[in-house]
Amino acid sequence: MSLFAGVGGGAAAGDPASAGGTGRALLELTPHKLAVCHLVQVFAPPAQAGGDVVPPFPFESVAHHNRLGLFLFTLTRSCDDFREPSLEELLRQLKAVDDLTNGWLCEQLTSTLSVLISPDDLFNFFDKLRGVLTAPEGAGAEDILLDPNSQLGVFLRCCILAFNSMTFEGICHLLADLVMYCNSTDASYDLAEDEDFDTEMSNLMDADISSQADIYQKYRQGRESESHMGESSSALTRAPMILHDFDEANTFKVDEDNPTSLRSRWQLEAYLNQQADLLEKDPSSVPLNSFNATMTQLQTLAPELHRVQFLQYLNALCHDDYVASLDNLHRYFDYSSGMQGLFGRSVSAVQDVIVGKYEGALLCLGNLHCHFGHPKKALEAFSEAVRVSQMNNDDSCLAYVLGAISNLLAKIGMSNTVGIVSSPYSLGTNIGLGTPLSIQQQLLVLLKRSLKRADLLKLPSLLAFDHLSLAKFDLKNVQRPLVSFGPNASTKLRTCPADVCKNLRLSSRVLTDFGTDALSTSSENGSFSTSWLRNLATASDSRRSSSMKSTKLHNDFDNFHYLAQPSPVPSPVLQLAGSSYLLRATAWEHYGSAPMVRMNALVYATCFADAASSSELSLAYVKLIQQLAVFKGYSAAFCALKLAERKFPSSTSSHIQLLRMQILHERALHRGHLKVAQQICDEFGVLSSSVCGVDIELKTEASIRRARTLLAAKQFSQAAAVANSLFSTCYKYNMQVENASVLLLLAEIHKKSDNAVLGLPYALASQSFCKSFNLDLLGASATLTLAELWLALGSSHAKRALSLVYQSLPMILGHGGLELRARAHIVLAKCHLSDPKFSVAEDPEAVLDPLNQATEDLRVLEHHEMAAEAYYLKAIAYNHLGKLDEREEAAACFMEHITALENPRKEEDSLAY
Amino acid sequence: MASAKETYRTELRAAARQLGERCLYSAAKWAAELLVGVDLDTSPAPSSAMDSPSSSSAVSAGRLLHLHRSGGSSFRHRFRPGGASSSEAGTPLGGVSYVSTPIPDDDSFDSGGDKYLLAKTYFDCREYRRAAHVLQNQVGRKAVFLRCYALYMAGEKRKEAEMIEMEGSLGKSNAVNQELVALERELSTHRRTGSIDSFGLYLYGLVLRDKGCEDLARTILVESVNSYPWNWSAWSELQSLCTSSDVLNNLNLKNHWMKDFFLASTYLELKMHEEALKRYERLMGIFRSSGYIQAQIATVQYSMRDLDEAEMIFEELLRTDPFRVDSMDIYSNLLYAKESLTALSFLAHRVFLTDKYRPESCCIIANYYSLKGQHEKSVLYFQRALKLNRKYLSAWTLMGHEYVELKNTPAAIDAYRRAVDINPKDYRAWYGLGQIYEMMGMPFYALYYFRKSSYLQPNDARLWIAMAQCYESDPLQMIEEAIKCYERAANSNDTEGIALHQLAKLHDVLGQSEEAAYYYKKDLERMEAEERQGQNFVEALLFLAKHYKNIGNFEEAGHYCTRLLDYTGPEKETAKNMLQGIKRLQSGFPSMDIDHFAL
Repeated sequence: MSLFAGVGGGAAAGDPASAGGTGRALLELTPHKLAVCHLVQVFAPPAQAGGDVVPPFPFESVAHHNRLGLFLFTLTRSCDDFREPSLEELLRQLKAVDDLTNGWLCEQLTSTLSVLISPDDLFNFFDKLRGVLTAPEGAGAEDILLDPNSQLGVFLRCCILAFNSMTFEGICHLLADLVMYCNSTDASYDLAEDEDFDTEMSNLMDADISSQADIYQKYRQGRESESHMGESSSALTRAPMILHDFDEANTFKVDEDNPTSLRSRWQLEAYLNQQADLLEKDPSSVPLNSFNATMTQLQTLAPELHRVQFLQYLNALCHDDYVASLDNLHRYFDYSSGMQGLFGRSVSAVQDVIVGKYEGALLCLGNLHCHFGHPKKALEAFSEAVRVSQMNNDDSCLAYVLGAISNLLAKIGMSNTVGIVSSPYSLGTNIGLGTPLSIQQQLLVLLKRSLKRADLLKLPSLLAFDHLSLAKFDLKNVQRPLVSFGPNASTKLRTCPADVCKNLRLSSRVLTDFGTDALSTSSENGSFSTSWLRNLATASDSRRSSSMKSTKLHNDFDNFHYLAQPSPVPSPVLQLAGSSYLLRATAWEHYGSAPMVRMNALVYATCFADAASSSELSLAYVKLIQQLAVFKGYSAAFCALKLAERKFPSSTSSHIQLLRMQILHERALHRGHLKVAQQICDEFGVLSSSVCGVDIELKTEASIRRARTLLAAKQFSQAAAVANSLFSTCYKYNMQVENASVLLLLAEIHKKSDNAVLGLPYALASQSFCKSFNLDLLGASATLTLAELWLALGSSHAKRALSLVYQSLPMILGHGGLELRARAHIVLAKCHLSDPKFSVAEDPEAVLDPLNQATEDLRVLEHHEMAAEAYYLKAIAYNHLGKLDEREEAAACFMEHITALENPRKEEDSLAY
Repeated sequence: MASAKETYRTELRAAARQLGERCLYSAAKWAAELLVGVDLDTSPAPSSAMDSPSSSSAVSAGRLLHLHRSGGSSFRHRFRPGGASSSEAGTPLGGVSYVSTPIPDDDSFDSGGDKYLLAKTYFDCREYRRAAHVLQNQVGRKAVFLRCYALYMAGEKRKEAEMIEMEGSLGKSNAVNQELVALERELSTHRRTGSIDSFGLYLYGLVLRDKGCEDLARTILVESVNSYPWNWSAWSELQSLCTSSDVLNNLNLKNHWMKDFFLASTYLELKMHEEALKRYERLMGIFRSSGYIQAQIATVQYSMRDLDEAEMIFEELLRTDPFRVDSMDIYSNLLYAKESLTALSFLAHRVFLTDKYRPESCCIIANYYSLKGQHEKSVLYFQRALKLNRKYLSAWTLMGHEYVELKNTPAAIDAYRRAVDINPKDYRAWYGLGQIYEMMGMPFYALYYFRKSSYLQPNDARLWIAMAQCYESDPLQMIEEAIKCYERAANSNDTEGIALHQLAKLHDVLGQSEEAAYYYKKDLERMEAEERQGQNFVEALLFLAKHYKNIGNFEEAGHYCTRLLDYTGPEKETAKNMLQGIKRLQSGFPSMDIDHFAL
C-alpha cells in the first residue's frame, strides 16, 4: 500500500488557497496507464471457471510470466522522467520481455489500444479489467491470479476508481489522448528498430577510427536513426550529454506529444528527488539552462507541484546563480509554506524528513548565504531560524539548524564572535555562562546540543552528521572544560584521538540505524525500479552500455558485476557513512599514518563512489594521489593525476586543480625551478576569495608555499616575515594544527640561514604543538629538524643529535615519505660523520647504507639540493675509506646535481606533465 | 474648434460602425462611448443611430489600472478586441499637430455579402465555428478577418472549457488555443502577400502574443494602430506589451490623437501618474463628457492618494452612468480607504443588481464585507472574483489582506505570492509579504520582500520605514542599516513623520547626539508646521534641552525648557529643574572659577 501513500498524502496537502480537494482522483488516467492496465490483464487474465493452466496462455514458463510481472511492477514505480513514456518506448521495453512470444504481446497491445475509439469501448475495457480482480461466481479465491492488495492490484483498482469517477469530458479527453498516443508510433515500429540497431552497431564498429569526417558521418547517421527512434541514439558523438539525453528528447517531443501525460504524483516526486540527488552529487553534469527548461516545462504541466521550484533553487545554487537561487527559494516557501517538506523524501508524516514550515525556509536561506560566502547573513538567518523553530516547537528543525550553524562556524574563520552573534538571543550565551565564549567553545556547545537533540528525536542522519562534526572538531581542537574551578581542575592539554575514533565509529552507525528507523520509509524512491528498467534496456541493446560507463560516477566495484543492482541503502545514508571514511583518511593524515590514509581513501573510492558527490570523491582521489607523490615520486603521481583529470575535468573540480598545482609546486621546488614555483604560488594566491575569513585553509596553504619558495630562493628575511604573519593569522583564527607546521617552517628558515640558536625554540615549540595535537609524523620531522639544529651548533652536540634522530627514525621509516626518509638518512650520516668519536673505517655501512638509501629516494623525487648533499657526504665517506674511484663517482654526481640546481634548464618543463 | 470636433465625431462614428461590423464589440463600444463624449455644446448630435448614449458599461476591455487601498494592479479581459475612435488633425492637444489618417472605405461588400451577414449573425449568437464555416472559401479581406477571428474565438472558448475540464490533482494543465498554429500560418502568409488589413494585423498580434512572441506581436500591433488608429483594443493589447518605459519610448507610433489615449493609459500603468494626469486633462478638453476619461482621471487621482478629488469624480460618474461596473472596484477601494460604509454598501447593492457575475462586482462586495469586519465572507467573494478572472491582480492582493485578518498566514502568503507572480512589479504585494513575515517574527527573512518592494517604488516612505523597522527590531539590531533606511524615508516625503523621530532616536542610541539633535530639530519644525503635538513633541523638546545644556549652549537649552513648561506631566518638572540648574550654572560659573583660583 505504500505505493500510493505518497499520492494520497500529496492530494491532502494541497494548496491552502484553492477551493479544496473536491473531485480529485488518486491518479489521472492516461493512455500509458491504459496500456499498463491491459498488460496487467494479460499478466493475470480474468479467472475462468474451470481448470486454469499455469502459466496462462502466451507464456511459456513461470519465469517468463514472472518477468512480465516484474516489468509491470517497475513500470508503476520507475522515475527516470516526469512524463510517461510513449507507446514506442513502452513497446521497445516490452520487446525485451516479449522475446519468447515473438512479439505477440506488442501486437496485442497495439491492436487492443487502437480499437478503443468510442466512450463505450472504454467502459467495456474497464468492465473487463474488473474481472481481473474478482473471482467469478462459484470459483474459489485461489483462482484469482492477482491479489487486490498487491502493487499491481492497487494500481488496477486506482485506475478503475479513477475511471468511474471520471466525467464525460474526461473520457473524451482520454480518448483524444489515446488516439494521439497510438499514432505517435509507426505501424512498422519493429522493422524500423531492427534497421536502426544495425546502423548503430556499425557505428560502434568503426568508433575507433575517429577522423573528423567519420564523426560527422556518424552524427548524421545518428540523427537519422533518431528520427526513427525518438530516443537519442547517437550516443557516441554527444557523450557529455548522455545523462540528459532524455531531457533533450523531451524538449523535442513536447510540441507534438500530448502535454498532459504526467506520471503519478508518487513517480513525479521520486523523479524530483532523483534529480536533486544528481544535482548534489555532480552539479557540473547538470547544465543550468536545459535543466531549468525541463523544470519550467514540468511546472507548466503541474503548477501546484511546488517542489519544482525547490529544484530550481538547488540548480541555481549549484551553478552559483545568487539572484535566481534567492528568488526561487522565496517562491518555493511562499507557495508551499514549507508544507511540502524540505528534504521531502516523502510526504508521509515521518519526523525525520519533514522540517517545519517557514523555519525551514530560514534554514535554507542560511545555507544559501553560507554557500555564497556571506557568513554574517548566514548567521542572521540561522539565529532567526533558531528563534522561529523554538517559537513553533519545531525540535527537529532546531536540531538541523544547530548542525548547520556548527558547520558554518567550523567552515568560516572568525576571530571572535563580537558583532556577529551579538543579539540578546545569541547562540552561545544562553547556556548560562557569564563569560563570553570563544568561537571554538561556542561551536562545541552547539554541536553537543545538536547531538543531544538528534539523539532524542531519533534523527539518525543528523546524529551521524553531528558525530562527524564532533570528530572534525576533536581532530583539531583541544577540548578544555568550559569552566574550571580552582587549581584542582585537571587540564590535560592534548587532543584526544580516542574521541575522534569514537565519534567516527558512532557516525557509521547510521548504516545500521536507517533500517530500523525513519529513514527506511524514505528510501523508496523508485531508483531501484528505474535502474531495473535501464538494465533491461542495456541487456536488450548493448549500445547503451558502452556510453553509460564512461560518464557516470560508478563504484568501481560495479565494473566487476555486470548488471549490478544498486545498493539497497539510500544514497544519503551511504553518503554520510562514506564521509566518515573520508574523515578517517584525513584524521590519519594528521596523525601520520600513511597506510591508514591509503586504506580509508581506497575504501571510500571503491565502495561509496555511487553515492558520493563529485567533490568528495575527487577529494578521495586527491588523497590517494598525494600519497603517490610522496611515496612513489612525481611521475607516478602525474600518471594518476591524468587519470583523475579525465574523470573530473579540472575546470569543474577545484580539488583536482589544487592538487595539480601542489604537485607542480613541489616538483619545481625540488628541481630548483624557482620562477615556476613563484608563478604557481601566485596562482595559488588568486584562487582564494578576497573576503576576510573565507577560504582560510586555501590562504594558509598559499602563504606556506610562498614562504617555502622564498626560502628556496634564499630570501630568508622575507620568508621569515611571511611565516611570521601567517603564524599570527593562524593564531587569530585559532588554527593550532596549522601553527605546528608554520613553526616548523620557521625553524627550517632559521636553520637554513645558519641561525641555529634562533631556530631551536621554534623547533621545540613545534614539537610541543605536535605532541598536544598528536601529530606524530610532523612531530618526528620536528625532532629531525631539532637534531639538525643541534648538529649545526657544532660537533660536540653530535651525540645528542644522533639520539634525537634515533628517536624519530621508527616513525619516519614507517610512515614518512621519500623526502623525509632521505632527510633522516642524511642527518643520520651527518651525525656519524661529524661525531669525532666515530670512524668511518670501522663501520662504513653505518654511513654508506643510509646515504645510498637517500640517493635512491631522492633520485625518484628529482630533489637536486638534497641529492647533492647526499653525494657530497658519500664522497667524504669514500674519501675516509680511501676508495678513490667511488669517491670520484660520488663527486661527479654531486657536481651534476649542483649544476642542475644552480643553472636550471628547461624551466618551462616544470609546468608540463 | 467646432470643425475639429466634427472630424473627431465623423471618425469615431465611422470607426464604431466598422468595428461593430467586424464583431470587435468592445472596441466599437469604446469608440461609440467616446463619440458621445465629445463636447456637446457645438452641434446637438445629429447623425447615425450609433450615438444613443450607451448605457450599461463604459470603457473598453482594455487594461485598467486598479490601484487599491493597498494593491496597485492591473487586470485585463482575456480577449475581445475593442473599439476605436477617429478624427484627424483637429486641435493639437499639446501644440503638436496630428497626423491625419484617412478613414478606410471598406463598406463595399465583396461578392459574398450575404454570407458575411449570416456569419456575423452566427458570431453574434456566439456560434463561432459555424460562423467560420460559413465564410470558408471567401477571399474578401473582411470575410477573411471575420473567419479568422471567429476561429480564434472558438479556440478561446474551447480553451476556457478545457481549463476547467483538465483540472488535476497537480493543478491545471496549460490548455492552449488549438487554433493558434493554423491562424498564425494563415495570417503570416496574408501579411507577406500584403493582403491583410489593419484588423487582420490586430488579430495577428493577438495570436502572436498568445504564442509568446512578444516582440513580433508588438511590431505587428504598431503596424495595425498606425494604419487604423481607432481600434482601442489594439492599443490596449499594445499597452499590455509595454512593460517598461524603455519599450514604450522605442515604439514607432504615428502621432495620431488616439496615441494620447494610449500614452496616458500606459503612463498610468507604468505608475507615471503626473504624466498620465496631464494627458487626460488635456483630452478632457475635447471629450468633455467621456466617462472613460473621467474614470481614468479618478483612478490616477486615487493612485496619487488624492481621495477626495477622486471620490467626487466617481460620484459624478455614477450619477450620469448609474449602471456602470467598469472601474467601480477602484471606487470601492477608495470608499474602503475612506471607511464610508454606507456609500460602499450602496455601491455594492447597485453593482450586484446590475451584474453580479463581474469580477469587479465580486470585488466590491468583498470590500464591503471586509470593511464590515466579516473577513470570511470577504474571502469568499474575492475567491469568486478570482474564479471569474484568475489574473485579477488586486483581488489576489486584497485576499491576502483578508487572510492576514483571519490569521491564516500560509494562505495569505500564497495569495500575495500569486499576485507577485502575475505581476512582479506589484510592490504592494511584495510589501504585504514582508509584513506577514515580520509579523511571524522573521524580520531577516522579511527584509528580502521589503527590499523588493522598495526597489520597485523607491519614493514611497512607508516601504523604507517598514524596512528600517525590520533592521531595528530586537533580534536584528542593525542600527546603522536602519538609519540608512530612515534617511531614505525622510527624503521621500514621509507624511507620518515616523522617520525623523526614529532617526533622532537611533542616533541618540548610538551616542551621536549632534545628529540626534539635528533630526529632533527637524522633527520639531515639521510638527510645528503641521500643528501637531504629542508625546513625540515633548520628547524632542526634552532631548534638545538636555543636549544644549550638555554642550553648554544655555540660551538654547533655556528656550526649549520654557517651551516644555507648556506641557503637563513629569517632563514639566524635569524642565523646571533644568531651568534652575541652568540658572545656577550661568550664575555659578564665575563663582566656581573664583573658587578654583582660591584653591
